[in-house]
Amino acid sequence: MDIENDWSGKVMEKSRISSIQLFLLLIGFLFGSTVILNPALSAKNDAWLAIILGGVGGALLIGVYVSIALLNPSKTLVEILRGRFGKFIGNAVAILYIWYFIHLASLVFRNFGEFIVTVTFPETPMVVVIGIFAVLLVYGVNSGIEVMGRLSELFVPIISIIALIISLSLITTHDFTAFLPILENGMAPVLNAAFIFITFPFGETIAFLMLFPHLNKKGNLKKVSALSVLFIVALSLLIFIRDISVLGSDLMYRATFTPHLTSLLIPGLNVEPLVDINLLIGGGTKISVCIYAAVKALSQVLGIGDCRKLSTAITTFCVVLSIWIYENVLEMLSWAEKVWPYYSIPFQIIIPLILLALSLKKEKRRRIVSKT
Amino acid sequence: MIVILTVFAVLVLYDLPRLIRRKESIKVIAIYVSLMAASLIVSLLLAANKRPASPAQWIKWILKMIGVVK
Repeated sequence: MDIENDWSGKVMEKSRISSIQLFLLLIGFLFGSTVILNPALSAKNDAWLAIILGGVGGALLIGVYVSIALLNPSKTLVEILRGRFGKFIGNAVAILYIWYFIHLASLVFRNFGEFIVTVTFPETPMVVVIGIFAVLLVYGVNSGIEVMGRLSELFVPIISIIALIISLSLITTHDFTAFLPILENGMAPVLNAAFIFITFPFGETIAFLMLFPHLNKKGNLKKVSALSVLFIVALSLLIFIRDISVLGSDLMYRATFTPHLTSLLIPGLNVEPLVDINLLIGGGTKISVCIYAAVKALSQVLGIGDCRKLSTAITTFCVVLSIWIYENVLEMLSWAEKVWPYYSIPFQIIIPLILLALSLKKEKRRRIVSKT
Repeated sequence: MIVILTVFAVLVLYDLPRLIRRKESIKVIAIYVSLMAASLIVSLLLAANKRPASPAQWIKWILKMIGVVK
């Protein structure tokens, strides 16, 4: 039996997660901070089209990651990189990915912190909010992937229930002419928003290449990822339709935290904390996955048996980085929209496509050898 | 400053003896110490209002130099 030592020295079985747990982890990760930052909103009233186009692109991109995982069964991203690029270049690219996961975790920490100190606890220093959240998450990460899977089973379904409650509460205040005119500014803003939507959140699922080996039934990987993309596109469309028909395209585009503003408009009911809960669940899942991916990748690069030895140090660094990285909320929003998609291209598109091509080439060679 | 030093002291006192007791390799301890030291230095600089240029600014600068971002 495959075994590994845990932090307390006990011996335990290698962790496994079920298809439903992976599905919910993917949903939580993809939903992540989109509750406060909707990347498709730059297309204003045509964002629905950007969400659909971005969803198609995102499905293709996740399809690439799944194909890489299926062509390299039971191997993590670091092992695949080493196998395809050689030990030296593979390790160098893996270190870049570790940075990318740490950076992504810090960005989500900051999104969470900015949202909470802006709308819920304006008197509390952001570092306190992020620090307390980090303590909870590092406990979850140290408990292992199985616990993260079980937590997602418990909490992630709440996200869609909350989105549904808020949407139904606003059903009397809808104005469906807010979508018109369609394609007022042409296709360019829609395509740009769709590209941003592909890189954030779909492309970020590259972190799951560190988690896919834990899936107990590898055959379900394609189905699970396709369903999660479909679910997130449907949820994003529901939230967008709700927001635009309540706020109108101009106010929706100007608002810093759109779903929060929408939730304030429900007559006679205060559901503001529900938006916080959604962010807590989605952001928490995303940060946990990123920290887990970073910690596991670092331990594999260094050849450390147990990945949890460095989780506290990495999480502490993520918290500090999240405070250091931006000066204010406006810089955060501008960077996420204008710089992040282009910075992500090598990590999310170029390197995975090279890995897929090399994996396919090796598989073809293996088949020829096995035939002869 | 004192709060930051206390938080880091608690974190290191909680983790480091355990790493040493379990006879972890030098590279584990080296990576741990470097990550914590980097975090402490940045935290102290931020607390002293001497914010160094952030990785977001470096990345933006590099992408601007290449011509990807305007």
